[in-house]
Amino acid sequence: MLLNETRIASYFQIQAMIMGCGTSIETENQGKPSAADGPSKNPSPALTMKAAILIQRWYRRYIAQLEMRRRCTWNIFQSIEYAGEQDQLQLSSFFTFMLDNFTHLNGNGPDLISHLLDSVVEPWTEEGRQAKYEQISVPESYTGPRLTFPLSTTDANNLLTAVKEQKTLHARYVLQLLHETKKFLKQMPNVIYLSTAYAKEITICGDLHGRLDDLLLIFYKNGLPSAENPYIFNGDFVDRGKKSMEIVIILFAFLLLYPDHMHLNRGNHEDHIMNLRYGFTKEVMQKYKTHGRDILKLLQDVFSLLPIATVIDNKVLVVHGGISDRTDLDFLSTIERYKVKSALRLPRCSLEQLELGAGTRQGRAQLGSPYSQGRASRSTRKRKGYLARQSSCSSTSSSSSSSSSLCSPCISSLNTPRRNTPSPCNLPSPSGVLQVPFLDSFVSIAPPEPTREELEWRQVVDILWSDPKIQNGCTPNTFRGGGCYFGPDVTQNLLEKHGLKLLIRSHECKQEGYEICHDGQVITIFSASNYYEEGSNRGAYVKLGPGLVPRFFQYQVSRSTRKLTLQQRVNVAEGSALKALQEKLYAHRSELMTAFQQYDENNTGSISIGDWAQVVESVLRLDLPWRTLRPRLARLAPDGSVDYESCFEDVSPGQPVPQVTPNFAETLYRYRTDLEIIFNIMDKDNSGLISIEEFRQTWRLFNSHLGVDVDDHAIDEMARIIDFNKDGSIDFNEFLEAFRVVHKLDVKEQ
Amino acid sequence: MAEFSADQIEDFKEAFGLFDRVGDSKVAFNQVADIMRALGQNPTNKAVKKILGDPNADDMANKRIDFDAFLPMLKEVDAMPKGTVDDYVEGLRVFDKEGNGTVMGAELRIVLSTLGEKMSEPEIDALMTGQEDENGSVNYESFVKHILSV
Repeated sequence: MLLNETRIASYFQIQAMIMGCGTSIETENQGKPSAADGPSKNPSPALTMKAAILIQRWYRRYIAQLEMRRRCTWNIFQSIEYAGEQDQLQLSSFFTFMLDNFTHLNGNGPDLISHLLDSVVEPWTEEGRQAKYEQISVPESYTGPRLTFPLSTTDANNLLTAVKEQKTLHARYVLQLLHETKKFLKQMPNVIYLSTAYAKEITICGDLHGRLDDLLLIFYKNGLPSAENPYIFNGDFVDRGKKSMEIVIILFAFLLLYPDHMHLNRGNHEDHIMNLRYGFTKEVMQKYKTHGRDILKLLQDVFSLLPIATVIDNKVLVVHGGISDRTDLDFLSTIERYKVKSALRLPRCSLEQLELGAGTRQGRAQLGSPYSQGRASRSTRKRKGYLARQSSCSSTSSSSSSSSSLCSPCISSLNTPRRNTPSPCNLPSPSGVLQVPFLDSFVSIAPPEPTREELEWRQVVDILWSDPKIQNGCTPNTFRGGGCYFGPDVTQNLLEKHGLKLLIRSHECKQEGYEICHDGQVITIFSASNYYEEGSNRGAYVKLGPGLVPRFFQYQVSRSTRKLTLQQRVNVAEGSALKALQEKLYAHRSELMTAFQQYDENNTGSISIGDWAQVVESVLRLDLPWRTLRPRLARLAPDGSVDYESCFEDVSPGQPVPQVTPNFAETLYRYRTDLEIIFNIMDKDNSGLISIEEFRQTWRLFNSHLGVDVDDHAIDEMARIIDFNKDGSIDFNEFLEAFRVVHKLDVKEQ
Repeated sequence: MAEFSADQIEDFKEAFGLFDRVGDSKVAFNQVADIMRALGQNPTNKAVKKILGDPNADDMANKRIDFDAFLPMLKEVDAMPKGTVDDYVEGLRVFDKEGNGTVMGAELRIVLSTLGEKMSEPEIDALMTGQEDENGSVNYESFVKHILSV
């Protein structure tokens, strides 16, 4: 108690000083001019202490509750993000499916899809291309930067000014820039070795994801790249954010300007199939209507030519995702990295020689449905098919010679039973035996040795997609659908094997912008602040000097001039996350209602909280704290059970939906993003229109792939309805608008 | 001691899981107080430490506890006398020198950082942001509402 009294005494001393008076330690007021008439005595020390403790307790409770909401919100965003990445595979497998089947419906062959997905043999030579770009004329009215090659610092500065002033670089210069970048990258090795000699500190930045403001903030705080100020950008420059193009332009410009001091690692989003879904493709097509496709084609090459890894002082390994227990830097140095165009394009399997005949096609067509049904019944996060050994390939009958020889992942989903035990990260086929569909039965054959191409592909995918985990071991990364989860032992082994002491990676959003794990051996660095929502997280970069001791720098881009309070930030992020969840619920309405009603035997309209949580988790396949979220998503009935229909209340169609079967509408809501991508691909001339016939075929294919039963009549009816001006073509943006949902609370506020 | 219902226990278990950053279905000793607060309790750090068996600083950081061991502790805290909204307002009124419904922000800051279970500067900043008017005074009734509106 004595100590406390001493503290209180000094407290009053300080208080007196604040009041601008003498330093008496008496507890009486010291000449403070009192406006009040009544006596304003200081409270007794005991009371003050009690009050302080009370306030502190309550404050800590407040913070703890905010923290809990923040964690929930974070979980929601992350789950939805990774679930989206899993869904990406569906899109990719759909493209493969389309490639195979399109030939039958459209005699012209799958020109567009293959154009976008296959590596086309380019008719132009390097010189020819260069000349071609030079011939693109730039109008007089263009006020943006005009680049000359080789680039100078003036060019770089002009580019920076231009992006700040929101001027779009003309397509000609984009193509030239990309062309030069490609030429440059071709001569770079897969793994770049750097040194911090000359007492230079290297700055390492993580994911930017199209957030130009973050890049500009980094340059502002840390200086532009130069010989004195070297940088490594660790992948994921594009997708999600709206300024991906600007970011790659700036990064590539500095790359060409300071080739020895500016280094770019490839990330999992430097991948044209990921770009189709996550926004980069769309951004390019919107900003560059005429030359968009050429730019995308060139970007595809540039991305696949980006180096995979950087090593600093032979001690620090920098890669985008992580490692696996079979990562081998020596092997990595020898691979042909440009061949791995996309992590989602599985390499040719050595079974393409296998003659399967017509049975395969029949077998494959049936597989469309089990695949999607299999997904629905699976428990959370089990990702079949992606890593499973591919079974049959499509090169069967001669008519499909132009179709891909890729193995369709949808087949392999039947092979892999639920894997509850972690298996090593080699080609997972639990029984070690392939199941190959052959007419009506399955034939088991021993898996052939993985080809060199497959081994190379796996090495790259592991580097770009893996995440660290706390427990030892190396297991397939089922959450994301690619790469591994690697434990501290895997890190330890790899670092020892190559004489390294630190692994720096990115790939995961962290609230503070960075995180250290594996006992200080792994650093995650993430440079896109407010990634999920305004105020959700900081961004950071790390600097390494010759001592290789990391120094971290954090920042947060803020749109509003006034700093948001912690509570406001939590509210904004939470609101956003909850909306996303509500949309998911809405998009799965019929599945959810069916499941709810199974538990609701007496048809009361309500079920227990536990049952509700269980249904939602298994249908949406999102591993979230549903009980904690329940108050924000669904109402309770008077008896304390959940009124399950109330979870669909706050979301409604934005426009009156054309009269279609509910199933159809729901599918449209759910796959809106995928459809947008597909339509954009089909729209050759970027007019926003596709023909009715194209729409019909696409829709039919998509549905058969998903296993959704929609009869042709419904499709035709739909096509007829949305052809608003009856000219045989569909404005698909209008069409998709019809399937946007609105949140009732938003509407109320308007 | 009032018993928690089965539903409540399920809720607590789920929230407990949210704080497990390691993946072993446990939380560290130094997280226990915060989890209890997130679940609606209001203990002092001292009270929680006592319930944990007065661990030293090392144990606080490194020892972990699973949900089955946590639940009885939660019950014990739940049984403690709780403060009410009025207590909180009264606690602040102590500092209301002029009896006009406001306290000096500067004074509050000093008290909270030097007395009781001291708060750090970032904690105090987070608490006081937006609460002080241009004279540096805090209207404590609205302050209380602010804290309770989470």
